[in-house]
Amino acid sequence: MIPLSHYLMVSGLLFALGLGGVMVRRNLIIIFMCLEMMLSAANLSLVAFARYGLIEGHPNYEGQMLVFFIITVAAAEVALGLAIIVALFRKEQTTHTEDLNSMKF
Amino acid sequence: MLLADLFYPVNPLYLEFSVVLLGLALLVVEAFVPGCSKKALALIGVTGLLLILLATWLPWQPLDPSMASAHFYTWDALALFFKRFMIVMTILTMLMSLPFVPSIERSIPGEKSGSGVGEFFILPIFACASLMWLVSAVNFIMLFVSLECLSIVLYVAITYFRNDSKSLEAGTKYLILSALATGFLVYGIAWIFGTTGTMSINELSKAIAGLPLSSLTPLLFGIGLILVAFCFKIGAVPFQFWLPDVYQGAPTPITAFLSVASKAGGFVILLRLLEQLYTIPLLAKKMSVIVLALAVMTLLFGNLAAMAQSNMKRLLAYSSIAHTGYLLMAVVSIGAPLMGMAIQCYLAAYLLMTSLAFLVLLIVSQKLSNDELYSFQGLHQRSPFLACAMTIAMASLAGLPLTIGFIGKLFVFEVALQQRHYGLVVIGSISVVAGLYYYLKVVRAMYWQQPSEGAYPIVVSKKIGCLIGALAGGIVVLGIYPAPLFFLFK
Repeated sequence: MIPLSHYLMVSGLLFALGLGGVMVRRNLIIIFMCLEMMLSAANLSLVAFARYGLIEGHPNYEGQMLVFFIITVAAAEVALGLAIIVALFRKEQTTHTEDLNSMKF
Repeated sequence: MLLADLFYPVNPLYLEFSVVLLGLALLVVEAFVPGCSKKALALIGVTGLLLILLATWLPWQPLDPSMASAHFYTWDALALFFKRFMIVMTILTMLMSLPFVPSIERSIPGEKSGSGVGEFFILPIFACASLMWLVSAVNFIMLFVSLECLSIVLYVAITYFRNDSKSLEAGTKYLILSALATGFLVYGIAWIFGTTGTMSINELSKAIAGLPLSSLTPLLFGIGLILVAFCFKIGAVPFQFWLPDVYQGAPTPITAFLSVASKAGGFVILLRLLEQLYTIPLLAKKMSVIVLALAVMTLLFGNLAAMAQSNMKRLLAYSSIAHTGYLLMAVVSIGAPLMGMAIQCYLAAYLLMTSLAFLVLLIVSQKLSNDELYSFQGLHQRSPFLACAMTIAMASLAGLPLTIGFIGKLFVFEVALQQRHYGLVVIGSISVVAGLYYYLKVVRAMYWQQPSEGAYPIVVSKKIGCLIGALAGGIVVLGIYPAPLFFLFK
């Protein structure tokens, strides 16, 4: 059986990639994708922790329950987020973060 | 008798359900009743919320601990107070939206006049329901779901002016940064769940106490990630950078809602979490250092950065960061007997004065359609009433005596002194002095500077005048005689 640490390693890598992408990339769509990746990383760890944190021989299903909620919420967030990005593109003809600078003091 | 059995005592879960039902009913009315006036819609919503607010005083049935919902939802004094707090703020937001209607109509062109106005009144109701769930959440799953419900409503509300580039920009920034905070939150929850094996916030201290020392590092990692997420929500330095832009770009009533209700929700969860962690001596030491550092940074940054602002909404945004700092001062002093009361009192004061400031700002800025500080110049000649109300709001935000803001600050400093955080109190006092400078800058603009070209007298309608008078009166009366306020906290 694959040990827990392998799952955590992969999920940590995913999280770091997502976070790095959010910090480095300048395209809103890519940033949004990276954000979803961070959520997937959390999902992976949750499922792994739930599977390995046995209670009387059964997986701890609380973790998996949260995963379902995360998937649902992420879908709702994508629907709204893309709508906002489309509205922004219509108005400004851009999806780059450098162009979002109308408010500076 | 049978009827009484049916209704008394009632399961408290119905409170949130009725708020959601109210929102849905209004949406249906808005869509299907022809010729329904938008103002009537808002008034129905306000009346419904007032009834629900009154209903919180009914003898609600305590939750049966064996019930499944009791593991997700709590019904304690803290939750009850903040449920009322959220409902009051939602009512104020809806009332503030009424004079805001011309701006909405200007920003959302539709086939017929008034299209797109109805939803603006209805959105805060859904935000209110998710905040009411949030303040009752004692489980990470519940916390996550209610927090995300809130965020999703706020994305829509902030981006409401889809033809205004500022609103779009604010919405996009909030979307990205709030989703980033969610990522941190969920990953943190995963690690806490992994080390302790529980999703319950109430059982966290019990679960941590039984852990071996080696699992402290992953646990701290998880707690740190969650703290980052909540610092985003409450706007604590160094996670405050979204706040000024979002506050400036969002429609003004939504800004008020964001700065009061959403912040209060974040503080409730922070309190619940830290109360559990402080029972473990090893964690308590680490946590208090972190929260202390956050409080100091937030106090200094918020107050010093606010001094340079020339835009009124940005100024209020930095002032809101500064107030987060004062609230964190109270959070540092967890364990002081009056700590919970200090936070409740401060937030209640903050609700009144922030709403008043934003309401006056909304009316003044609507005339000139900009919210720079110079549009306040010579306000006492254009509308002495508004100038007086704004002066009261600013005095209260600065914490001058005879206003409710003073009572709030008094409590916060008192609990910090009780826990012997003398250095923090010194920094707090310095920031109060810095605060005086920029709040009085607004007063100076209103009374000692000449109005700019094309500034007309502002006529305030009677209803709005009553609302402003009520808020200003509340600030002064409760500042002189705060006993009714304490009645709410018990």
